[in-house]
Amino acid sequence: MNYIGDIYTGASNGLREVWSNKLRSLLSMSGIILGVAALVAMVGIVQGMLNNMRASFERSGGVLKLEVHPSEAPESQQHIAGISPGMTWRDISAIRKAIPLADFVSPVVDMRWERFIANGRREGGLLQGVTPDYANIKKNELINGRFISDYDIEVKSPVIVIGPHIVKELYEGEPNVIGKQVRVKGQVYTIIGQIKPVGRARPGVRNKFNYEARFNYIPATTAMSRYKGNDEINHIEILASNRQTMPDLIEQIENTLIQTHRGILDFEVRTQEEQMAELEKLEKSFTYSLGGIAGISLLVGGIGIMNVMLASVSERIREIGVRKAIGARSYDIFIQFLAEAVVISILGGLLGLFLSIGLLSMARDLIPEGENISLIPISVMIYGFLFSSFIGLASGVYPALRASRLDPIDALRYD
Amino acid sequence: MVKFEKIFELSALRRYYRVGDELVHALAGVDLTISDREFIAVIGSSGSGKSTLMHMLGFMDSPTSGKMLFEGRDVSAIDREERSRLRATSIGFVFQAFNLLPKLTVLDNVVLPLTYSRKPVKNKSELAIKALERVGMEHRASHTPSQLSGGERQRVAIARSLINEPRLILADEPTGNLDRKNRMSIMDLFTSLMDEGITLVLVTHDDEVATYAKRRILMQDGIVIEDSTK
Repeated sequence: MNYIGDIYTGASNGLREVWSNKLRSLLSMSGIILGVAALVAMVGIVQGMLNNMRASFERSGGVLKLEVHPSEAPESQQHIAGISPGMTWRDISAIRKAIPLADFVSPVVDMRWERFIANGRREGGLLQGVTPDYANIKKNELINGRFISDYDIEVKSPVIVIGPHIVKELYEGEPNVIGKQVRVKGQVYTIIGQIKPVGRARPGVRNKFNYEARFNYIPATTAMSRYKGNDEINHIEILASNRQTMPDLIEQIENTLIQTHRGILDFEVRTQEEQMAELEKLEKSFTYSLGGIAGISLLVGGIGIMNVMLASVSERIREIGVRKAIGARSYDIFIQFLAEAVVISILGGLLGLFLSIGLLSMARDLIPEGENISLIPISVMIYGFLFSSFIGLASGVYPALRASRLDPIDALRYD
Repeated sequence: MVKFEKIFELSALRRYYRVGDELVHALAGVDLTISDREFIAVIGSSGSGKSTLMHMLGFMDSPTSGKMLFEGRDVSAIDREERSRLRATSIGFVFQAFNLLPKLTVLDNVVLPLTYSRKPVKNKSELAIKALERVGMEHRASHTPSQLSGGERQRVAIARSLINEPRLILADEPTGNLDRKNRMSIMDLFTSLMDEGITLVLVTHDDEVATYAKRRILMQDGIVIEDSTK
């Protein structure tokens, strides 16, 4: 038996039928077209978003980063909590001296939201005081200049490492702003470093979502002396040398800080493990919920095809009778109608893929794109296409079976 | 291969239908032999059983009882698949309503039985053109049925019935939808095809058409009441 020949004949009959009923075919395909387009576009967009989050997570230190934040002292220590000096520069020195497992240590003196002024323009940005180690914890790449140095810390230099957002808004995206001056909170700073924008910079597209681009850094000592007037810091960021020694490192940090804080437990060590797990959970839930929605819409598309195929069968009962009278077996009729359904769904799937590429390129302009992020998810496209073809196959079985079971005598009498 | 002189031998062939509670005797015991190169007209009023007889001969239906031999082989109880195979390879159908597929060209309509008979044919189109030449329609090969007149459509349908070189051509009121001029021209075509060696069973209630046949079988109430040869 020649299966290839049967399938070829069936497919070419199917194509002819689809072509001679263009509008009806297009309408019956619409469910599959939209289903596939929605599946691929949604997954593409969400994957792009998740990739961004992951990249941003990695840039902010990844799983090796630890943060020490001030916290409320426990109930039992409330009455003596005042004896702790809180989070101060001395914590940094103590950690540096005592803990070799901590590869990099930096305080963060948080100035929060400040107004940056230059060239007669104003723009809001975030200002933080940090030390040279910070460049290794949060992986900001510089396109120009240098990061804060030990010398800057020592002499409390009035220098700033500036982020891409402020460069864009105050200097109209000048390629090099090193040496220029910017005024923040009544103080003038000289720009010594310029942070590289993340993702593709597209002229004319304002990226409102990109929070990271708004960070700017000054020496921690400068921040403390100019704005705080004491040696208090907001939190500490530490990069561990590897994952295995992290539990030891955490214990060592706690042992060290309990001394500088005079036995008061008014700090907590936070890891990014939870965030990592959260990210993974998010990814999973997105994948399942989107897959579910897209699956349902493809199923609806399949029902649409079945509906059209059933109508097509009753419209062509006489044709089926003629074909049977001149020798078509039930199997031939079955293959013919099944092939028609599959042709419809394959064409629908292909059109859906084209549509999804269009949707994704539109979405590209709206979503901040990180590095190495492919917004056209090839594997999802393949799955979507295969699934839609399978849906077409499944929804064609019943109508094709009905067609193949028609009695030739009855079918020929039918008007 | 042995060439069977007798194509069909039917004996005491019966076909009952159950319609509701009633048993309809569409065929109530038919004895009939159809030999090679015969031209038979089956006549009778409607309900006489001639359509049922045609369905039997065309392997579209199976008898309730009785014996049916095709080329010496008992085919009274064959299954659907085998009936399809015999329809494809041994029988050619010509219908009153022509029954060409409207979306296919004349050529594709004529080729269609070849795809179902699965005969190993190298050039199907060439064979179809030859069949169209036998009915004088080769110049219309690329037209669609809707571009043809009724008489032309029936010629194409006859070409389609010829393409597999069937043992028997069954024509069910082939002139029923045609005017007098076309009726005569189709009957002349059948007569000339008879000279080329086909076997034809024609079901009709038109006496004028029936006079073309060499043998007339008159049916009434599911049995043959007259069987005469000119």
